[in-house]
Amino acid sequence: MVGKTEVNIYIGTTSIYTCLGNKFETLAAMNRGRGGLSFNKQFSMFTGSLEVEMMETYTRFESLMIDQLIEVLSRTNIKLSDPSVQLIISTTKGNVELLEEDVDHPSERTFLYTSAELVAARFSASNPPIVISNACISGVSSFVVARELLLSGRFNHAVVVGCDVLSEFITSGFASFKSISEKPCRPYDAQRDGLSLGEACGAVVLTTDISRAVSPYIRLAGGAITNDANHISAPSRTGDGLFYAIRSAMAEAGLSADDIGFVNSHGTATRYNDEMESKALALSGLNTKPLNSLKGHIGHTLGASGVVETVLAVEQLRQGYIVGTYGFKESDLPHPLAISSGKQKITKACCVKTASGFGGCNAAIVLEGSDSAKLTTENHNILPQKVNVVAKYTLPQSDKAFADYIRVEFKQLGESNLKFYKMSDMSKALYIAVERLLAIEGFSEIEPTRRAIILANRSASIDSDIAHQQIVSQRLPEGPSPAVFVYTLANVSAGEMCIRHKIQGDNTFFIENRDSGLAEDYARLLIARDRADAVICGWCEYLKGEWNVDLKLLKKIYD
Amino acid sequence: MEQLIGELKEHLIEELNLEEITPEDIDSEAPLFRDGLGLDSIDALEIILILEKYYGIKLSNSAEAKPIFYSVKTLAEYIMKNRK
Repeated sequence: MVGKTEVNIYIGTTSIYTCLGNKFETLAAMNRGRGGLSFNKQFSMFTGSLEVEMMETYTRFESLMIDQLIEVLSRTNIKLSDPSVQLIISTTKGNVELLEEDVDHPSERTFLYTSAELVAARFSASNPPIVISNACISGVSSFVVARELLLSGRFNHAVVVGCDVLSEFITSGFASFKSISEKPCRPYDAQRDGLSLGEACGAVVLTTDISRAVSPYIRLAGGAITNDANHISAPSRTGDGLFYAIRSAMAEAGLSADDIGFVNSHGTATRYNDEMESKALALSGLNTKPLNSLKGHIGHTLGASGVVETVLAVEQLRQGYIVGTYGFKESDLPHPLAISSGKQKITKACCVKTASGFGGCNAAIVLEGSDSAKLTTENHNILPQKVNVVAKYTLPQSDKAFADYIRVEFKQLGESNLKFYKMSDMSKALYIAVERLLAIEGFSEIEPTRRAIILANRSASIDSDIAHQQIVSQRLPEGPSPAVFVYTLANVSAGEMCIRHKIQGDNTFFIENRDSGLAEDYARLLIARDRADAVICGWCEYLKGEWNVDLKLLKKIYD
Repeated sequence: MEQLIGELKEHLIEELNLEEITPEDIDSEAPLFRDGLGLDSIDALEIILILEKYYGIKLSNSAEAKPIFYSVKTLAEYIMKNRK
């Protein structure tokens, strides 16, 4: 359980595929100030779409991931068949377009883990893949999780792959939030009116063995995940959640604002996201650092964005100058940022990469280049923390229909919370289970940023996905319901708990085939490495009227 | 107008999943987006859908929605003027 104290994590081989092409094509286009968004007739909006050469027996989503994995693995002798290598897959919606075929009977391939296993099998992976579905922070989350697993000494290398493809499911959902830009999106610009969606795939090899790293060396020096605990879809008005993520990632890296050369932000170009980021960066003391968003070039590529943009951040650190923010001219932000509008030299070889997403989640990582890093081994100086299971609760099964059962359970709590009835069924089941768990032992003594929630399930959010796809398929003139769409991300249920119980620390959602104990295992790592003092963890499944919610509350033991 | 207000309350309860709230519980002149009904930005988007679905009104700019969405009464007045 104890993290090794002398471990560095380096970036190995990397590859991406975006609407601007492969890694070098994408970087070259960005260096020349070119964007890749174009009008997509199928979805009636500007998107960054890909041409995909499909592989036999694989879907578009899977073909893209296999392609990128072949690309990174062919240039290293690290193999997924080696037990010391862990594959981590980041996606929000995977093969969700398959729901269009038969919405009431989702095929096996609609389940993220089925798809992940097929990809892992293609490379004879030794370990079962880890799938992270954490809304728009999934990609950055994957690096944070990879970092924790590598520091724990369980694996020597990790291969992170992030991918999402567009379908009417996704485009109509974002349209229902009125968050799609009329034109190609313009991050931070005063004229910005929303985001543009894109599809992309990226893969990164992370290694603790410098002889396998790619020179010039870049370290994954720190990372953190937090929650706003404010709203499931609206960005925080204060920016505190993202600020906590940046602060914690920089503390991990042992760096201060002075050491940072540039910030690659989420920068979706929605009015509220960009404003929130400006506040968080001001709180972090990073508002004077050169900053760029790549969403204007390639769109918001969802579960791929954190991976693809990190690969591009690494390349910008290596070339010593950053690219501009496509579409940006002048800003009207409450806290001015040093937004880069064109190629710009950087003086320090360190980058902070951030992301924020539905469910109120935020993530930040720190990438440290070799000339600023003395490449000394990390010394975490963290004493191993002991962990106690202080409460367990399993939501009982019932003969009653879920709606009737859960209403009675909620009434028994004897409170009125008008939000409860608006939640997805999975969120309702989790809500009751967490109330009962915390009634056994609460965590009011724990500071909000030291509280975490780590969950896993099999179906992700397929129950809500079906509800949304049913509406999409009806092609109603008024369009789909945002109140349904928002729950088509499993981590939004965790986000509801963050709001309810003021959980501002890590909130990660894993997708698995069955409960392997991964959520608890990761929760234990967080406490062991002193990244949290109390963690709600366990299994949270709800699909078509059947539920299985099995939770534990872990706490640090104080000597 | 009274009939429209009653109908609107029914739609709000149905479409915004305001379980355990009856039309009588909703004060037509009280702010919708304060503590009373606990409505939020997602509910505001759902109200835009109600306007289109039941009254054929397209409200594209959510900035203009604020004064219109103040209360059930202001909503009803707007519908009276703009319904198709």
